[in-house]
Amino acid sequence: MKDNKLRLKRLVYYAEDLQKIDKLLEEFLKLSNAKCVFLIDKEGHMISNKGAVQQINAETLSALVAGSFAATKEMARLLGETEFSVMFHQGSRDHIHISIIGDRAISATIFDEKTTVGMINLYAKELSLKLEKIFDIAARRVVQEQQVEADYSESVKDKLNDLFKE
Amino acid sequence: MQINYARREISCKMVFYGPGMSGKTTNLEVIHQKVPDENKGEMTSIATEGDRTLFFDFLPLDLGKVRGMTTKFQLYTVPGQIYYASTRKLVLQGADGVIFVADSNPKKLDENIESLKDLSDNLEEYGINIREVPLVIQWNKRDLPNAMPVEELEAKVNNVGAHTTEAVAATGEGVMATLRLAASLVLDRLNTKDGETPPLTPKQAAQAAQAAGAPAAAPAAAPKEEPAAAPKQEVYVAKVGADAISRTFFLQYCQMQYRLASRESDVEDFKKFTKEEYRKFLESLINYSLLLQDAKKRSIKPPMEKINAQMDAFKKKFGSKEELDDYLSKRRMSIDALRNEAVKNEIISIMIQEVIPNINERMKITEKEVADFHAANKAKFNNKPLEEIKGDLVNLIKSAKKRSALEEFYGKLRGQAEIKIFEDKL
Repeated sequence: MKDNKLRLKRLVYYAEDLQKIDKLLEEFLKLSNAKCVFLIDKEGHMISNKGAVQQINAETLSALVAGSFAATKEMARLLGETEFSVMFHQGSRDHIHISIIGDRAISATIFDEKTTVGMINLYAKELSLKLEKIFDIAARRVVQEQQVEADYSESVKDKLNDLFKE
Repeated sequence: MQINYARREISCKMVFYGPGMSGKTTNLEVIHQKVPDENKGEMTSIATEGDRTLFFDFLPLDLGKVRGMTTKFQLYTVPGQIYYASTRKLVLQGADGVIFVADSNPKKLDENIESLKDLSDNLEEYGINIREVPLVIQWNKRDLPNAMPVEELEAKVNNVGAHTTEAVAATGEGVMATLRLAASLVLDRLNTKDGETPPLTPKQAAQAAQAAGAPAAAPAAAPKEEPAAAPKQEVYVAKVGADAISRTFFLQYCQMQYRLASRESDVEDFKKFTKEEYRKFLESLINYSLLLQDAKKRSIKPPMEKINAQMDAFKKKFGSKEELDDYLSKRRMSIDALRNEAVKNEIISIMIQEVIPNINERMKITEKEVADFHAANKAKFNNKPLEEIKGDLVNLIKSAKKRSALEEFYGKLRGQAEIKIFEDKL
């Protein structure tokens, strides 16, 4: 429980993990023929993304995906399930496929008529398994202390005073 | 919180919590309005027809790069109505800081209490104690004619020792101050290890010590036996133009001025002042605020290098950080207060030179002036002959002249500024 609490509190991603993750995401896009994919943590922060994402407001999408995932979890609970592992929203042109990765992240794939939901589902499942392993290793690693510069907090506060004026 | 070293990004989640219709969404709207375009994203609101938040409102803020890390705050509100309990809990997941927006309407007292209890329960389910999470309670709707007094709200609602602020979200008042306070509490956390309760910052410790040791002015609700948990509400003693002077800062300032003036640097006790003395300190603090505001208008900047050098020299006097902290805390001073003092002195000397008309003319002292002054005050100097104490006399006259020139200048500034003093808060 204690460990779980810690992980809920702070998520740290290092460059070496992200390199591996990005490689997997690219592979996934190639295989599934999707437009783009977002990797999001359950708290709504984006971890990474790949593909044609320029037109999309990544932050809001991340927050909404995490939010709607959490809402379906409540639906699942009402049915006596712990959670639904896959969600799919169909649009007239673009569609979104959401699937969970382990217990801390979510992938959101946006695709169009160039591929099918079945293909996405298939490769997303594979992607989930591979990513889960990376997350597991990352979570078990001892976090190095003081990677953020010591006066970072103070510098941000100065900036806050600047920007968040009455 | 997500720290993403690969993307060089830190992302914090802040949640606005509170009973229905207390003004959470309004807070977010004000922030959206006031933050510069380049620092904010779109505000997303999932609301019902009746304008009530159904799921959550979301507003991403981007502070840009700070020390090489892109810094983001993601603001969420939860629906206040009781029947959205499960959504509230979901949005709360992974929150780095919580702003609890409470309604000052006496009719909403029970709802406030219930909602804070609900927050505590939901945090508990994530294994987090409400006292551990960076939490700011905002007493909103202070403009209601029947608003409950803050002291009463403190006593009846804030049983968790949270920081508090006052606001009128509908007009925007106090909204940014609340966000700043909450954000800085979250940032203080960043330097502590996961799962560890952060120690009180020296400033907080000083505030707590003051709240406990302060004269009648201390809030009655402050538990004296445990000063660290004393509520640190922001009460303002005066408003000078756009700046407000908080009581905490004011009390610190009084102690500091007293020690600087008396030169008794070993006084350890909290010095108590009479109402008149407080009033005098407040007047000088208001002058200082006006001076800073005027300096800003004239784009006069304090020579930070010089001040930093002064501060460094001061710090070097101490063998270790502990010794320095010890010295300061014994004197109820903070390093920030000292720095303010240095800034003040530098600005005064720049302003005197640049702004007061023909200052050099006025500062000239004639032989006759010295002789007259000596004749008039002979008794005060034990009838010592003029020649013996001439140097001292010149200095005295000089500082008197400087004071009167400054007074004149302050008078002018005061004439142009809007100043409000909250007598009851002194």
